[in-house]
Amino acid sequence: MKFVRSVSEVFGYSPFGALRRHAELCGKAIGLLQKQFEAYRRGEFDKVERLREEIDELEYKADMIKEEIRTNLTKSLLLPVDRHDLLHFLEVQDGIINYCEHVGHMVTFRRVKAPEKIWRELDILLAKIMETVNKYEELVDHISRLVASSFTRKEVEDAMMHVKEVEQLEHECDLVQIGLYTLLFNAEGMDPLDVHLMVEWVSHLGEIANYTARAADRFRTMVLGRG
Amino acid sequence: MDLLLALIIFAGLYMAWNIGANDAANSMATSYGSGALTLKQIVVIGSLLEFCGAVFFGKNVTHTIAKGIVPIDTLDYHLVVIGALAALLSAGFWITLATYYQLPISTSHSIVGAMLGFGLAAVSQGYLDLSDIHWNVMTKIVLSWIISPIFGAILAFFIFTLIRLLILEKYDIYRVERIFKYLQVGTACYVAFAHGSNDVANATGPIAAALGFMGQQMPPWILFIGGLGISVGIATWGYRVIEMVGKRITELTPTRGFSAEFSTATTVLIASYFGMPISTTHTLVGSVIGVGLAGGLASVNLKIIKKIITSWLLTVPVAAALAIALYTVMVIFL
Repeated sequence: MKFVRSVSEVFGYSPFGALRRHAELCGKAIGLLQKQFEAYRRGEFDKVERLREEIDELEYKADMIKEEIRTNLTKSLLLPVDRHDLLHFLEVQDGIINYCEHVGHMVTFRRVKAPEKIWRELDILLAKIMETVNKYEELVDHISRLVASSFTRKEVEDAMMHVKEVEQLEHECDLVQIGLYTLLFNAEGMDPLDVHLMVEWVSHLGEIANYTARAADRFRTMVLGRG
Repeated sequence: MDLLLALIIFAGLYMAWNIGANDAANSMATSYGSGALTLKQIVVIGSLLEFCGAVFFGKNVTHTIAKGIVPIDTLDYHLVVIGALAALLSAGFWITLATYYQLPISTSHSIVGAMLGFGLAAVSQGYLDLSDIHWNVMTKIVLSWIISPIFGAILAFFIFTLIRLLILEKYDIYRVERIFKYLQVGTACYVAFAHGSNDVANATGPIAAALGFMGQQMPPWILFIGGLGISVGIATWGYRVIEMVGKRITELTPTRGFSAEFSTATTVLIASYFGMPISTTHTLVGSVIGVGLAGGLASVNLKIIKKIITSWLLTVPVAAALAIALYTVMVIFL
């Protein structure tokens, strides 16, 4: 509309909604990854392939959001958190979905055969990672309340409790991971190539949990390092 | 001569309409964005309180614009009428142009620049000495332009910090926002009143000068006309601006809106008291930045500061140059 002089320009680009959307995509990706492993077990390899594509798409969408934030987060914006802290946080959060994509691809490399015990343990690991990422999503959801309350002590404390919970879950993932390594390296009669690929899966799944915990840590730095 | 006076009143009304349509609307939009008031309520409250502010508190700034810059008492009456008309027309033209290109310029700066232009034109024709122009007042005005947004920012910073420490730390944020919605009705009125008291002068200052009442008591109907023009501006065009700007600034929740509005209105009213013609819009921008500095906003675009400073540097010379040109031409023909 013409013939308007307005003050609305004083309100700049806010990255917080986009950060939440990005975190949501991470959660969705890990959900698809879980489904992908289920399909793999049932031998539905077409579905495995389809899910890989879906995860790729989510990763692409996440990259778009990352790009949007990076493009718009110019130095002339006055934000309630440090700009560099926010960008570091985003970088690490992006690692979560990147590793989901890696694993999504690795699942399609080869059809492995492994004892039931290992599959069960792998299910447990996936469920644990799912739980970690879900908890992490809840943590990022804090951002809207933090901004709305302009980072009051209570809201910051609530968020910090959540960071600790994510870190605890990541530790639990580690334990399952160690158990799986032991099982895999002692699996008599398994094809060494199968062992190798499964070890790669486990390492990369572990990275998803690692990045989630690191992102939570970055979130803490960002929230506490204000001003 | 009667024709000239009619033209001046007409040009003054156009100016007042512009002030209502854009400036008043911008200051009122904050209450719409947060949902404190409906559009209809804002238009009614805005028109009413802008009018009251103009009529009851608009005298000091009108006085400054009319004779604070150019010593009109020492000039020939005919020249003053032409000068006032030239100032109103050039300020009006510049505002229209800038609004078309959506530049965040100030009506106050425009009219001050234009009145200065009139004074300088009179100097160039030998009616006045350069030292006759009230440079001390001019300096004060320019200082007030620099101080007012900064003052608004500091005030808003403190008010929002107080709200944060005393209220937000203790109570649920959503309940607090609901309560502040009601308080914001009060600050919306406050802003409208303050805005009317300051900005009406941009329209009525030159009229008062032309009518030559300034030595004696200025008749209240001049302010009445100005107030009316602003109210009509809000009702005929301002509501659209309020709606548009309000929708874009939903970030200004009631607590933030309250802080920004209260600081803006207080700053502007103080300026009105001292007769300083400042920009309400720029003060509002300063106040919003203050809330942002207090950590109250998700994102504040500081680029606007550069834009505002550019508009300062542009508005005064452009309005002055236009007024000089118009005055020189009109003196020859009228």
